[in-house]
Amino acid sequence: MGVYEWIRLIIGSVFLICGLVIFFTEIFGVFHLDYVLNRMHATAMGDTLGIASCLLGLIIFSGFNFTSLKMLLIVIFLWFASPVSSHVLARLEVATNDNLSARCKVYTDLETLEAELAREHTKETGGEPS
Amino acid sequence: MLYHYIYITTLIILGIMLFACLIRAVKGPRIADRLVSVNMMGTMVIVMISILALMLDEGFLVDVSLVYAMISFLAVVVLSKVYIGIYEEKRYQAKEPHNNDEGGMSDGSL
Repeated sequence: MGVYEWIRLIIGSVFLICGLVIFFTEIFGVFHLDYVLNRMHATAMGDTLGIASCLLGLIIFSGFNFTSLKMLLIVIFLWFASPVSSHVLARLEVATNDNLSARCKVYTDLETLEAELAREHTKETGGEPS
Repeated sequence: MLYHYIYITTLIILGIMLFACLIRAVKGPRIADRLVSVNMMGTMVIVMISILALMLDEGFLVDVSLVYAMISFLAVVVLSKVYIGIYEEKRYQAKEPHNNDEGGMSDGSL
């Protein structure tokens, strides 16, 4: 194997190992956190960054051809699909949980949230001398 | 040959992680937990199929992987909608024999 082959092998392996570490972090987060809306935070990372890193390593392994182009298409598709599926799952959780207010703060209408945000904003800016 | 060992090692590690995802899907207390872990398993299976496509030198397996990504996304969206519908129907039926006044949750938060 020539020098370029070795360089390609090393760079691809680094990307692949990065992807595996990100997948491991995802699973650790899913087992560590204790509620669905927190666990979703960990899984979104693997859906976007983990698979992008793994498939980038595979693209570097395979070189520039139609196979790598399709892998790039998978990554781009998942970047669009993962936020949508996370949003739908969060809606499912909020719609089916009866005592959601035990887990997180619930604002039933928008005016309450806006009033609270404005109060926090004035408290933050009022405390500073500038 | 070196590539072959790298692919085999990655596949074994991904298989172990897939098993951990399956444990989470079985243990998950709520329905959203199970759907989240099924989504996670889909992501790992996509990577596994792509590695197999390079390892066996069969280009069409990447097409299979792309279709798998689309079907996994569709499954999560459709199952979420179905479970929201089931819950709404159950809540409506539970409320129907009594007085049908408004529930505690407003529709703005859904």
